[in-house]
Amino acid sequence: MTEALLDPLPGLILLPLAWGIAAFLLGPGRGAAPAIVTLSLQFLFCLQLTHQVLADGPATHPVGGWGAPLGIDLMADGLATAMLLLTQAVALPLAVYARAYFRPGAPEARHFWPLFGLLLAGLNGLFLSADLFNVYVTLELVGLAAVGLVAMGGGAGQIAAALRYLFATLLGSGAYLLGVALIYGSYGSVSITTLEPLVAAHAPTLVGLAGGLMLLGLMLKTALFPFHFWLPPAHGGAAAPVSALLSALVVKASFYLILRLWLGPLAPLSALHPLLPWLPALLGTAAIFWGSWKAIRALRLKMMIAYSTVAQLGYLFLIFPLLGALGGLQAGIMQAFAHGLAKAAMFAAAGVLIKATGQDTIAGLAGAAQKLPLTLFAFGLAGVTLMGLPPSAGFLAKWQLIEAALGQDCWLIALVALAGGLLAAVYVFRVLRQAFLLTAPESSLQPVPRSLEWAAFALASASVLLGLRGVELMQLLHVGWAG
Amino acid sequence: MKKIAIQLAALVFALVLGSAMLDLDPAPVDLRPAVAAHLEASGVAHPVTAVLLNYRGYDTLLEVAVLLLALFAILAVIPDSQTGRPTPAAPVLQTLARLAVPLMLVTATFLLWAGAFRPGGAFQAGSVLAAALVLLHLTGLLAGWPQPGARLRWGLAAGFLVFLAVAAALLLQGHLLQYPPAWAGLLILCIEFALTLSLGLLLAGLFLFLSRDTEGAP
Repeated sequence: MTEALLDPLPGLILLPLAWGIAAFLLGPGRGAAPAIVTLSLQFLFCLQLTHQVLADGPATHPVGGWGAPLGIDLMADGLATAMLLLTQAVALPLAVYARAYFRPGAPEARHFWPLFGLLLAGLNGLFLSADLFNVYVTLELVGLAAVGLVAMGGGAGQIAAALRYLFATLLGSGAYLLGVALIYGSYGSVSITTLEPLVAAHAPTLVGLAGGLMLLGLMLKTALFPFHFWLPPAHGGAAAPVSALLSALVVKASFYLILRLWLGPLAPLSALHPLLPWLPALLGTAAIFWGSWKAIRALRLKMMIAYSTVAQLGYLFLIFPLLGALGGLQAGIMQAFAHGLAKAAMFAAAGVLIKATGQDTIAGLAGAAQKLPLTLFAFGLAGVTLMGLPPSAGFLAKWQLIEAALGQDCWLIALVALAGGLLAAVYVFRVLRQAFLLTAPESSLQPVPRSLEWAAFALASASVLLGLRGVELMQLLHVGWAG
Repeated sequence: MKKIAIQLAALVFALVLGSAMLDLDPAPVDLRPAVAAHLEASGVAHPVTAVLLNYRGYDTLLEVAVLLLALFAILAVIPDSQTGRPTPAAPVLQTLARLAVPLMLVTATFLLWAGAFRPGGAFQAGSVLAAALVLLHLTGLLAGWPQPGARLRWGLAAGFLVFLAVAAALLLQGHLLQYPPAWAGLLILCIEFALTLSLGLLLAGLFLFLSRDTEGAP
């Protein structure tokens, strides 16, 4: 009887829903303590799930006891478990960070904790769902929570960025929903496991159209070049803990869905033409160069980091021509982990720098390294991961990407990955060079809570140390790999 | 030029979509027999309610969370300034509103009760409740809402809390939201009742929290 309560699949969805709503009931600005306690529990659930999936293969949970296609199934294979692990691993330190970041009673943080809780419920639900319509509901949860977090505080710039983000995300989920409706019309089911053999057996034109709509909608939500227009103002303008959450996790959710569809029900369609997988790779390449260029030219620190997100998302799409072998998927997920942890650390460090210097330009950072060595160290470590230097997780991701590319004679992809690393070095060192300038001792910085610096440092060191323990993560992706 | 291009693209898309829909084969999976076969065990007699609250109740749970989320997003944006009573409407309108609101409450109750065996249910009943509140506000009988106090917060969250508690409690004896057939009818009625109240407040809140008319403003 009690082991039902310890089942991680429903637990990972119920727990964040519960603390999100509890935070709302506690009142404006409150709910940090229950959030941090429950997030630790969620993290333990995730570790248990990882253990379970590695030992017994994919875990499922039929909600309502009906089973697909009448009911909705929750399913955790290696890929879903890896994404759940990343989500809780980023969310927990960011919760500690956010608790110290928002002053008690600050109007901009009144509803941060309820929004955060429901965002995590949406993310966990999305990774666990094996039902195309249920995925749409979780997409709405994630999208609306993210828009609410960007708009928090209600400044004019934030509202404008949030509205632009809202329209982009609504258009994306609208296209996805239209695709789901067309698929339901063609096959009479929205369960992913039921659909897979049906699509493989017979796919009329309409299903091709549906697949295209769903993938395009999700690319818009992932901010893949040229659909990235909404990302820099939204991620660059939000409060630091929010920017970290959005860049590290939210855009990865729609990427995960693209991957899930591409490898699952839409696999027969993506195999129709040998050049089809090169389309996302081409857009990814453009994203790497354009995002890096804008990051190098950015004047404001958070805009620089936001454009770096545009560039780093490009790597995720380089893997599509390589998905014939497991190595391609492993490279993509390692990159999602590396970027998720490093970008959360970088935004967290940027939040400390902005609080301390009272401004947001890169030029104004002069001398910051003397006063905030721990924060700059965290920023540098995150930069090491983004550049892909050993022994970081970013290095491992690039190594695997290049290995998979050369193994399949796609040396162009290997070249792009190398060039992207060099460009990342340029924009990271621009910030570090400025921060390490020696300034007159009278330049004063505001004091910041130590826990802010330590949370950023924890995330950054995780992004580097994961490079040493990448084998376990790679092992996880074997579970449920069909190709 | 840009406008014409967009219109042309939309037209082409609509034509392609329409022509692809024309040669649609009958779907290989038909869930209607399965829905009908388990209706007995679902606790309700109407197939739509059975799908919404039982077979795919998990979707509905998350949909209620989406509505709450929309409200949180609004509350996160609005300023703390006091809301005032809108300009009172003409006496005739006020009298009509006073007459209409009790009728709307009866309609909402009927819709809630009807959901078990014919079209209706918590979402429909909740919208009628919300419409009654908005009507009272527009005729100047109910002030716009400021940031919610503890009582209103519990009212807004009650439906979701009951739903979540039932889902979690049912986990103890099987799967998430797996109703035992003997209890399904009662549990679904409890959820629907709480949802009606909360959805009424929630949907009205989407309007009333944003209402910033002050006394004397035109």
